[in-house]
Amino acid sequence: MQTIKDRADFMVNFSGMEFVFRFFPVFLLVYYAVPRRYREFVFLAGSYVFYAAGELVFLPLLAGLTVLNYLVGKKVKEHEGSYIVYRWQKAKRRRLLVLSLVLDVGVLVLFKALGTFVDNSLLPLGISFYIFKMISYQVDLYKGEIWEQTGFVSAALYFSMFPQVVSGPIMRYNDAGDGSRREYSLEHFEDGLKYFVIGLGMKVLLADRLGILWNDLQMIGFQSISTPLAWLGAAGYSLQLYFDFWGYSLMASGILVMLGYEFIENFHHPYASGSISEFYRRWHMTLGSFFRDYVYIPMGGSRCRGSRQILNLAVVWLLTGIWHGNGLNFILWGAVLGILIILEKMCYGRLLARLPVIRNLYVLVLIPLTWVIFAITDLGKLGIYFGRLFPFIGGAGIAVNSQDIVRYSQNYGGLLLAGALLCVPAVFRFYDRHKKNPVIILLLAVVFWYSVYFMASSAGNPFMYFKF
Amino acid sequence: MKFIKKSPLFLILLLTGILFTLAAAAGRSSIYAEQEYDILKAPLLSVLFAGINDDLYPWQLFERDAVETAALKEAAEPGDNGEEEPPKEDGPGSFEDPEPEITPEPARMPEPVRTPEPAPTASPAALPSAALTQTPGIPEGRLEPLRESTREEYLNHISADIYGDAGVLRAASFAFSRVDESYFDDALFIGDSRTVGLRDYTDLAEHADFLCETSLTVYKVMEESFKGYGTVEQVLAAKDYGKIYLMVGINELGRGTTEDFMAKYTEVVDALHELAPDAVIFIQGIMRVSGTKNDSDAIFNNGNINARNNAIATLADNKQFFYIDVNEAVCDEAGNLTADYTHDQIHLLGMYNELWKEFLLEHGVA
Repeated sequence: MQTIKDRADFMVNFSGMEFVFRFFPVFLLVYYAVPRRYREFVFLAGSYVFYAAGELVFLPLLAGLTVLNYLVGKKVKEHEGSYIVYRWQKAKRRRLLVLSLVLDVGVLVLFKALGTFVDNSLLPLGISFYIFKMISYQVDLYKGEIWEQTGFVSAALYFSMFPQVVSGPIMRYNDAGDGSRREYSLEHFEDGLKYFVIGLGMKVLLADRLGILWNDLQMIGFQSISTPLAWLGAAGYSLQLYFDFWGYSLMASGILVMLGYEFIENFHHPYASGSISEFYRRWHMTLGSFFRDYVYIPMGGSRCRGSRQILNLAVVWLLTGIWHGNGLNFILWGAVLGILIILEKMCYGRLLARLPVIRNLYVLVLIPLTWVIFAITDLGKLGIYFGRLFPFIGGAGIAVNSQDIVRYSQNYGGLLLAGALLCVPAVFRFYDRHKKNPVIILLLAVVFWYSVYFMASSAGNPFMYFKF
Repeated sequence: MKFIKKSPLFLILLLTGILFTLAAAAGRSSIYAEQEYDILKAPLLSVLFAGINDDLYPWQLFERDAVETAALKEAAEPGDNGEEEPPKEDGPGSFEDPEPEITPEPARMPEPVRTPEPAPTASPAALPSAALTQTPGIPEGRLEPLRESTREEYLNHISADIYGDAGVLRAASFAFSRVDESYFDDALFIGDSRTVGLRDYTDLAEHADFLCETSLTVYKVMEESFKGYGTVEQVLAAKDYGKIYLMVGINELGRGTTEDFMAKYTEVVDALHELAPDAVIFIQGIMRVSGTKNDSDAIFNNGNINARNNAIATLADNKQFFYIDVNEAVCDEAGNLTADYTHDQIHLLGMYNELWKEFLLEHGVA
């Protein structure tokens, strides 16, 4: 998530004019102009051009890791055996898996450390995402779950495909496959385009506009915001993050659908959840299932003693925190979520499940608070913000303007309401039923051009709107 | 037909896209003539959308006087050649080169676009200072610039320091006195988002009136209708103010030259004086930006701010017009906005507006 924001001005930004009107149309033309059997290759080449435009210096790292992972994976596949699997084959496969995991995790840790302790610019574009795909690839091969052909182009494309390389979703190799299962039809293309347009609208029309609210709060200084504004800010930031990331995921998956792939769902109405555990089964689903399949379950998952289960959850959530960014607040964020999820599992989860409205309120209050921890990297400022949220526990505030909420709810009320509406699953059920309705289609066209209006006038930089 | 049924959205986007491109192409020589456009980065239709942002709509193509509208617009907003980008671009290398527009008529350059009506300052250097004072009652003795902005400065959005510090020194020679808060009971503050901060995060609004809005510029200030108040003219007609405090200028950086800015600023200050002849007018120096911003931004930096402050300071006569510079109260030794006082490197954090208020209390005119 960090990566998208830091590099908003490159072509790699799906909601930028350069991507929407330059790179992508040209790529589409070439992709559909060549015969089917060359399309994977065209996609791979396009992905490398895309990555090079984003961050040329780290392209060799991606290419090098791709070759190494492919070679190790190939060996693993060779020793798969047939009817009889010899013990030595098993051992060999295990050694190869360990080798690849040490390599991939080592590189990720190394660059995360460089990015954290030396300079943020040393964190290669999309590394958290493509390395997770490499790990997934190796483990799935080891477990014998990959049935498709694993040619070099297919593997390299899986690691580097441009819709996912910057920020996911973390697709599985089996969902990409070797190209034999693509659906090339106008209807399928149209579906992909709709996902893309909806995602674009979420990002440009909601997330980017709401982002200005959060920036305003930082500009004012948390010590000077009123308690209602602090809550409005927490809600605004939560919605901003949601539509930024969900919008991005929809654009990425929409592009893949336009290219003949299947849709990868990354968000499933998390704000309609009845518990924090459920929220994270519906939020950034491909990351959640990654941790579930490659960390939690191999450690024993839920099929073990209570204390071991707690440890497993703690490890997963600590890793989740570290993965999201370099700052103590991210670890704190992961820890708080881990504790809440452990408590749900061990203490009040069953009780909560029986309390319809209360369980929703529980999610709707707690999740925004955790996002505040996620948002504020400076622990001192984080403390101040919580002081403003809960003034009775000792956050008096300095130079607070008690009327600020009036102005901000006037300015952002509409956006917040629109955002809240899109948190309701029924809205999307309605859309699904009527998505071929001409009115809906016209509405999507308006969303597209209205987004383009903002993109053209801000040239991909929402902060242009922040005139002084 | 098959296409319409199976892929209607794609078809609509394709057709509207073509339509917008045609409109943009048609307006390229008329209403969009001033839009900057890079074919590698964006489609032609982007000028149409950027135009809407500047209140230029495609249907104006069909209006008879479309061309004149565009011409007027261009003239009314000096230097704002539809290029919304400059403020965000960092580093001189990334500026779009306005060469194609400039070369055919290089004479236009040193004193770029002017206001259409007989401008009070055609070229400050060329005219005797008496010519500057059209309005009766405007004090004389305004300082003249030492030189003109150069072509390079104009092209690189550098605000030239054409006045030097003579105005600032003369303004600082006045002995301001400490006043109490009741001093602001008949005060009017006019300004951009910085003044919004002063209004919202000090108690000054309990005494004074505030006409302020984010992104306000000296070019818009007299036309703007302020929510709940109306225009400056209406406000000044409705109440007798004893003091008018003005701070605008940060948004204008990167737009036009120091001469353009100064010409408009002079016009505004003189208009304020004409509308409220008895009011003391406090010309406030533009608040500087932090060191981080200063070092990384080719436009929003303190060199440009200081050059423009040096210009507007010359308007102070220490009788009716005074120049005060809040930077004395909020900047560090290096002359940058103190890093601890700001999050976004441009605005004071809410609580530090108190320093500004304190500074104003120290700088009353008895």
